[in-house]
Amino acid sequence: MKRVLALILAALTLLAFTGCGTNTNKSAETTPATKVEKVRIALVLPATVDDLAWGQSMVEGLKVVQKTMGADKVEIATSEKLGSAVDAGAAIRQYATQGYDIILAHGSQYQSVLMDIAKDFPKTTFAYGSGFATAPNIFAYDPQAQDGGYLLGILAAMTTKSGIVGIIGPVESGDAVKYNYGVQQGVAKGKADVKSRIAYTGSFNDIVGAGNLAKTQMSAGADILTGSSQQAVGAMRAVAETKGNYWLSTDMDQSSIAPDHVLAAQVYRWEKVVTKIIDLRKQGTLGGQHLILSLADGTIELKYNDKLADKIPAEAKAAVEQAKADIISGKLKVELPKK
Amino acid sequence: MEGVMNSAIIISILATGIRLATPYLLAALGEMFTQRSGVYNLGVEGIMMMGAFAGFFATLHSGSPLMGIVASLLIGALMGLLMALVSVTFKAEQGISGIGLYMLGWGLSGLLYRLYVGGITSIDGLKTIKIPLLSDIPFLGPIIFDQNVLVYTALVLVPLSGFILFKTSWGLNVRAVGNKPEAADTLGVSVERIRYQCLILGGMLAGLAGAFLTIGQANMYADNITAGRGFIAIALVYFGRWSPWGILLGSLLFSMADSFQSMVQVLGINFPYELAVILPYVVTIIALAISFGRVWAPAALGKPFQRGTRG
Repeated sequence: MKRVLALILAALTLLAFTGCGTNTNKSAETTPATKVEKVRIALVLPATVDDLAWGQSMVEGLKVVQKTMGADKVEIATSEKLGSAVDAGAAIRQYATQGYDIILAHGSQYQSVLMDIAKDFPKTTFAYGSGFATAPNIFAYDPQAQDGGYLLGILAAMTTKSGIVGIIGPVESGDAVKYNYGVQQGVAKGKADVKSRIAYTGSFNDIVGAGNLAKTQMSAGADILTGSSQQAVGAMRAVAETKGNYWLSTDMDQSSIAPDHVLAAQVYRWEKVVTKIIDLRKQGTLGGQHLILSLADGTIELKYNDKLADKIPAEAKAAVEQAKADIISGKLKVELPKK
Repeated sequence: MEGVMNSAIIISILATGIRLATPYLLAALGEMFTQRSGVYNLGVEGIMMMGAFAGFFATLHSGSPLMGIVASLLIGALMGLLMALVSVTFKAEQGISGIGLYMLGWGLSGLLYRLYVGGITSIDGLKTIKIPLLSDIPFLGPIIFDQNVLVYTALVLVPLSGFILFKTSWGLNVRAVGNKPEAADTLGVSVERIRYQCLILGGMLAGLAGAFLTIGQANMYADNITAGRGFIAIALVYFGRWSPWGILLGSLLFSMADSFQSMVQVLGINFPYELAVILPYVVTIIALAISFGRVWAPAALGKPFQRGTRG
């Protein structure tokens, strides 16, 4: 009886796990008569497809690609919650074995595992990011998060009433550091006597912790807050419970769940990056390029929340637009943290 | 560094500390009863995740956080019942069953969320309730008496659990079953029934602890929302030497250290953040290491009871 029960428990557990595992979106099975050439894309995510941040921004991008190219031309498969590189590696290898053309490992932590697997599948295109190291069949994509951060920093400094901008960091690494560093420079540029304060939770996915850190930031005087990673929604929710405090989003526009509190957002247009990877592959380039997302080519966009347009002073908006033009023209270069 | 540690900041640190202590306190008090009866349930984290989901889901659909609380208690009781079935009736190894329960809770809560909600959705959670008169006490008022109902519940549960455990006949039975189950059995106390009751009670409190995260703090749900808090609660039971006051002390020590390090970071006091975020753990470990004395544990902890054998 004990054994039977243990088995049932194990089966239930497995069932629960597989339920949130792979999800193949096989749109329009190819008709046997006219075989359409189809790009098969697999996406591996550290968090979830609906995290309203890094993961979801890529999923939305892929949906746009599928819509533009035609549902019969693009097949998308997604595996989520693969935060550990070992589990992700198993999924990546499986996708490669199944003959997917392009495998997107959407996280900087997947770099080394990709380098390992890609050698065994020379005909498959792999991509990961944020990162810069490439291989003959590996693309590295790299959002210039500091640029959007800089613009949002100027906006924050010229909009804040308390004179304090609060940043909720996950862990001091990768994209988050670039973004935070950009925000800090923007704040300093926007108004000399405005302070930016950074605090880290030490985690990427502790939404409760991020929310508490946001509350601490606000109790210490911050009235405009921002932060990256999937836990940032927790901080944004804490801001949304207050009056007179605002949030600045990154990765994607998060105003859908806090329309009265998100002033503006740095948005990544992944569809442009993925389209580029598809085109390069068609031309025979399977990898080896460092693809930079920037304001200049429109892969990074700054989006204002129309509903809160009156909360942003005109001179703040003007200063942001000026800085944006300067970054695009190359006149202004936002610094990166020294390694 | 600015000289900014004024009284408003100190009040904020302490009030946040009490809020942060609440999930640990709820889950650890539940686990205390469970372990006092001789069963350790390592599945607390999984129960908390289920409680967090159930609380969120019921609040989302009913619009009332009260329904969320009820739902989390129910789901917690069910999870506790499952653990009791496996570890008491079928006498499975407790450590492994607990880990199984944790994984079940993790997977199932994520799956249910994906099936029935999907996407980031926010809810109106519990509001803070200022207790009249008491909240006007200088300094202490805003720290303790301006919180939400689950914080008060957790604080009231400390003396209440102490009373139940040490002053009632049921509490005596629990302690007897956890220390000398054969003796309790001889005297006509049903070891199985007491352990079932304790596991269900522990499950309910763990479920409530989970609900506190979704309807009392985040006002939303995300995968793996507990982020290890259930395991910390189990550690705090050992820290508190299976006593409610010890658990209160441990929870407050850990959470105050956490709240303090957040404020230190926010105020830009020059301190490496990597060290700041581990401060609560370090403080707790040091306190545990220097608090010497006889380390006592329920004698029958971890041992399935089989009538006619010696434990």
